[in-house]
This record gives sequence, structure tokens and C-alpha cells, in this order.
Amino acid sequence: MTRTITYQQAINETLRQEMEKDKMVFILGEDVRVSPFGQTAGLVEQFGKERVRNTCIAESAIVGTAIGAAMTGMRPVAEIMFADFMYLAMDAIASQAASWRYMTGGQVKLPLVIRTVSGAGWAMGYNHSQSTEASFMHPPGLKIAVPSTPHDAAGLLRTAIRDDNPVLFFEHKFLFPTSGEVPDEEYAIPFGQADVKRQGKHVTVVATLLMVHKALAAADELSQEGIEVEVVDPRTLTPLDKETILASVKKTGRLVTVEESRARNGVGAEIAAMVASEGFDFLDAPIQRVGAPDVPIPYSPPLESTFIPNEDRIIEAVRRVLG
Amino acid sequence: MAFSAEEMLALYRKMLLVRRMEEKHGELLASGDIWMMGHFGTGQEAVAIGITAPLKKEDYLFPTHRGVGEFIGKGMVPKDIWAEYYGRTTGLAKGKGGLHLSDVRVGLMGLVGSLGADFAVAVGTALSSKMRGTGQVTMIYFGDGTSNQADFHPSMNLAALWQLPIVFACANNQYSELAHYRETTSTEHIAPRAAGYGVPWKIVEDGNDIQAVYAATAEAVDRARRGEGPTLVEYKTYRIAAHFTGDPGGYQPKEEIEEWKKKDPIDRFRARIIEQKVATADDLENMNREVIAEVEDAVKYAQESPWPAPEDIYQDLYA
Ligand SMILES: Cc1ncc(C[n+]2csc(CCOP(=O)(O)OP(=O)(O)O)c2C)c(N)n1
Repeated sequence: MTRTITYQQAINETLRQEMEKDKMVFILGEDVRVSPFGQTAGLVEQFGKERVRNTCIAESAIVGTAIGAAMTGMRPVAEIMFADFMYLAMDAIASQAASWRYMTGGQVKLPLVIRTVSGAGWAMGYNHSQSTEASFMHPPGLKIAVPSTPHDAAGLLRTAIRDDNPVLFFEHKFLFPTSGEVPDEEYAIPFGQADVKRQGKHVTVVATLLMVHKALAAADELSQEGIEVEVVDPRTLTPLDKETILASVKKTGRLVTVEESRARNGVGAEIAAMVASEGFDFLDAPIQRVGAPDVPIPYSPPLESTFIPNEDRIIEAVRRVLG
Repeated sequence: MAFSAEEMLALYRKMLLVRRMEEKHGELLASGDIWMMGHFGTGQEAVAIGITAPLKKEDYLFPTHRGVGEFIGKGMVPKDIWAEYYGRTTGLAKGKGGLHLSDVRVGLMGLVGSLGADFAVAVGTALSSKMRGTGQVTMIYFGDGTSNQADFHPSMNLAALWQLPIVFACANNQYSELAHYRETTSTEHIAPRAAGYGVPWKIVEDGNDIQAVYAATAEAVDRARRGEGPTLVEYKTYRIAAHFTGDPGGYQPKEEIEEWKKKDPIDRFRARIIEQKVATADDLENMNREVIAEVEDAVKYAQESPWPAPEDIYQDLYA
């Protein structure tokens, strides 16, 4: 049996269920008690302020505190209010959380999750709109989850909380109110397993988060002309499910990557490089990357919507790879 | 407070061991046998040993880059230090950490290379022991220079807000890398900053007196253990050593170094031990020989230990 819930509910109830199961799980971050977007709303009533712990405004210290708690037996779920603010904790995430286990030769493990919210389109300007996940694909030692549906959000968050490694969990602000089906029973989605969100045979489009939905809309439109796009959602960027992407490209011979942030040095750059070196023979056309232009995120709505990749740009890229 | 004769000798031996370890490191560098530069704590041994003495094995310590003092103080043994310095598989981090030593068995959680990156991590271990109800204390040890790092501020704030079992221990050795700390720090003292967070603080004027260091630290550790929250203690001392082996030097006045050599914490403790008839000069000379032999054995153990294999590079990244 299944039921329909929102993306925001999926996150909220998974947190609740995992906190009920394991007393070591606790939440910390700015305003997690009241929760501006609602992901942690209502948890304090059940678990108290000790386990739903408001911190001061200091992203580096939120992550640092989570690291220390994780290495000594707790399972912290830290929240960084906006993905832009992950950069304030860059050393803590990219150097410390990522490397601490390695630098101690495996003497400690760091079961911690950092949840954050990405995405442009709310006219919030350059410091409340970024999608920063690509920046964290570079340092080793991290795992990165990018759920695009309520089903994936709940399943990946459960895996993240139970994982013994630092996991970055990117939520998209536009996805919070979206709804979808989830099984009644508890489930977890293993990391490194992409999901083919739509089957197709002419072009592979790899997309994440909100871009999955734009790619699906583009695919619907192209389908009316007889162009069948396969939409692959990697669901985790580290580890990356190369097999599913390569198998899809083998079938279609054509690849378009789509991400909300800048294409330069982005998620698609890594996927394109991987396919170019491991699946070159499958390719019938040069790979196309769809992403934002190389500028900060501007405020004015016409500028902001020029920044964010849309269905038209995905359709154009699909046409380009079809020649 | 007074130490027993046994305690005095045990602490003296640790200080001596630290000095001999670092001297040996210098020799091994000079002979080209080891390549890792040293940041020695010569002249600061009373702080490193005095602050760690009140800690229990299960307490957490976040150490500094300045020599091996607090590592020895917290219970790491020379052979584990040398094996890691030599980059061998017998090192506790299997050669991956090098100077970023750790020995989690004795609460040495690891030395970070980005100064100050461990302030909040220490808040995290203290929060964890409070939430788990284990009674463990966390100590974060840092230099005057590092006290200006950004995370100092939220870490003091959160430690105070949550009344965590943590001691902030600051060795003010008057130099931050290649400049006197007053060139880059606005105040003479670091410890009074604690007042801004509602945290009690103390200055140990004579950080080269191990008994004074111990007494102030023990009080702070006890407070933490009783659940009364954080304390910031500052220890005034002096870095007789260069910042690192091979730094350009010349920025510490010669007379200043000579003055401080007269206040060498090991010499002073030694004089006290002899004066109080806890041991004779001969006893202490025997102890010194033992310590030298221990260091030599440990170095030999490391030198004879196997190198990691290239494929070991992929081990220990993920749990
Ligand atoms: C984030 C960071 N910035 C700079 C350095 C380089 N560095 C290493 S030691 C040091 C001086 C630290 O001074 P202090 O905290 O007073 O400790 P001391 O070296 O005097 O023991 C500096 C600047 C570093 N390791 N990390």
C-alpha cells in the first residue's frame, strides 16, 4: 500500500522515525525548533530541546559541533539553513568532516548528516539561492544525496542518518510542497543507485533535484514529436551510479546533463568526463551540458529566470545532440 | 596543592621525555633521517604536562602542533609517535596523519592542521559526553595566535550557553609564528575575553611552574566534571624554540631567549625535586639515561617498521 505525502513531510517524518528509533540521533542548527521551512517543525514537542537543539548563527561551529559529537558516539543531523551558507563551514565540511577518519587511520567514524536547502527562483538574490552541491564533489570522504521526490527524500534521508560517514543532504526549496507516493512501510534507498525517472531511447538526460522535474516536462513535450528522452536521476552524487548512466547512454548514444547551478566545473562536468572516458564508444554526438551562466545569482526576476535553466534550454540541448 | 614524591617524579619524567623526544626529532631532521619539520615546544613543557595531568584517560583532548608535550601528557607512547612520524604502517593512523597525531584510545582525538578548526569540534565532544551522561571532560588546547581564529567565538558562546564540560586552555608563548603576538593581538591577555561569554577565567602568570599550571587546570577540570560549565585558562610561557625547524629566525631578541632559558621549566622542577629531597641529582641523571634509551628504542622500532603499500592509500576513507 502507498500513501501520498509532501517532500517536506517526507523529511519531517523520517527525522521523527529515526529519532524514535535511536536516542543518539539529534538535530542541531539555526531555528530548528520552530523551523522556517517546516522540515523539523513539531519535533521539539516529542523530543525536547536537547535533541532539537537551536544553535547560534555560526555555520562553521554547527558543523564542527556535529563532527565532535559524531566522533564520540552521537548521530547528529545538522541543518544549514541555506546551501549558500555551506561555504561558511567550508573547512569544517571539506577538510575536517571529510578527512578526520582518514587522518586517524580509521580510529574514528563520523556518522553525521548535514541537511541544507538549495535553489533559486524565490527572488532571494545571490546568498539565499545557490545550489552548492557540486562544490562538495571535490573533497573525498563525503557522501552527497540530492532527492527530487518525497519518495527519494525519505528513503535517502533514512540511509543518510544510518550511514557511518558524513552525508550532505540537499533539499530544494521548490520541492517542499510537491507531493508523491511513498510506501506505507518503512524503507531506505541505498546510496549509489540512480533511478530512471522516465524510460526513453533517443537521448539520455541526467538531472538532479528540481531539474529532474524540468527534464520530465521537457521529455513530455519532445515525446509529442516522437523524441523519447530517458531521464536518469542519480539521487546521490557521491557515490555516483556510473553503471545506470552508462547503460542508458549505451542505449541512447546521446547525453545531456542538467543542473541548476553553473555548468562550469559542475555536476555535469564530472558526469560528462566519466561518460567520455568510460563510455566514449557509446556516444553518437558530443555531450551537452545545461546549467546556469557563470555569474552570481541576480535578483531581478527577468535576470533570475535567465539564470535558472528551464525546459526550453533542455529541449534545445536535446535537439543539439540529435543533430 | 602539593604533589606526592611519586607524582613529582612521574611528571618530571614526562617533561624530560618531551624534551628528549623533540631534541631527537631535531637530530633526525639534521641527519636527513626524517623529513617532517618540527614545531618544538622547548620551554613550554610545564604547560603541556601540567594541563594534561588532571585529565583522565577517557577525557578528550584536542592538542596543538607545538611538539609532543600534550601527547605524552595524555598518555600516547613514544613508539606510536615515532611510527606515525616515520609514516609507517605501525603508526596509529598507519602513516596517513604524520604530524596530525591521534590516539583515540587515550582521548587524543586528532590534531587539525587548520588552526582553530577544532574549537567547535571540542564543543561537539563535550556536548556528546553531556548528552550521553558519561562524565568525560573535553580540553581544547591552543596558542595565543589561534585564539583569534573565527570559531573561538561561537565555541565559547555555545560552551557557555549549554554549560558544557570543557576547558579552554591557552598557552600564551608570546609568539605567533614569526611575530610577537602583540603585533596581531589587540590585548595583552587572552583569558579575560571569557568574561564576555559569562565564562570564568584565570591567568597562570608563571606557566613554567608545573605546580601552578596543574593547580589552576585541576580546578577548571573539576568544575567541568561537576557540570558547572567551561573555564578559560591562560598560561604565560615562552617559546624558546623557533616556530619550526628551519624558520628564518632573528625575530626573537637573543637576550629575551637567554632570559627565558634561565626560567626553563624542567631545570626549575629539577631543582625543586632535589631541594625537597624527593630524589638526588644522580637519581635524576639515571632517569635521564632511561628516558634517552626509551626514545632510542622507540625510534628504532619506527625505523624498522614497514612502509605502507601504495594501495593502502584507499583504506580508511569511509567507515
Ligand atoms: C588556519 C591556519 N592558518 C595558519 C596556519 C599556519 N600556522 C601554523 S602555526 C601558526 C602560529 C600559531 O600560533 P599560536 O596559536 O600562538 O601557537 P604557537 O605556534 O605559538 O604554539 C600559524 C599561523 C595554520 N596552520 N592554520
